[in-house]
Amino acid sequence: GSSITELLGALCDNSLTGVSWKRRALGGISREGVRRALRSRAYGALLAKLFQDTSPKPPSPLNTTPSRNKMLMISFNLRVSGCPEEAERLEELLDKLKDGPASGLAELDSVLELLVHLAGSVPPPLSSF
Amino acid sequence: MSTTAFNLAPLTTMNYMNKNLHRHCEQHCLLLEISRLLNTGLDMESLSICVRLCEQGINPEALSSVIKELRKASDNLKATENSTN
Repeated sequence: GSSITELLGALCDNSLTGVSWKRRALGGISREGVRRALRSRAYGALLAKLFQDTSPKPPSPLNTTPSRNKMLMISFNLRVSGCPEEAERLEELLDKLKDGPASGLAELDSVLELLVHLAGSVPPPLSSF
Repeated sequence: MSTTAFNLAPLTTMNYMNKNLHRHCEQHCLLLEISRLLNTGLDMESLSICVRLCEQGINPEALSSVIKELRKASDNLKATENSTN
């Protein structure tokens, strides 16, 4: 398996998809320079969050809520905001996801938690008429 | 041992591996669809990297901050590109 460093590097590289390098090279900004800056920002964000987490905080009920339940809360929000089909599909997909070693995913709970944190971080796709 | 029995062992291992691989892909596809429904902005490749980072023990909340930060940086890059066009 790849190391955390390699995986974070791959994540940085993937975020540069669609950036044009020809014009940048003319402007004196190298691809390698941008990659280095991105990695530095990625580590900065990661460490800032980790150090912030070591400070004592009052326990919040949301911190102890299992990620599947948080997903069900999102599903409820979808339903009350007039998106019943999406809510239905989300619950269906959650039911299909298996837990434990049989799933082939070692950290399913963490992955779901990540998706909860990223939920709504980009605008929904425009529906076609 | 007959030849048939000898040939069956690797086939069974292969079937087991294929089954596991199939299950793994199936779970990834389910996660990708959930991710799209929730508008997380993750593509298949980013999601796959994130799954592996979670398996390495990276805190999911910290990882979400990293992704948002990278998104900001790449949006800035693309914005300067458009303004110079």
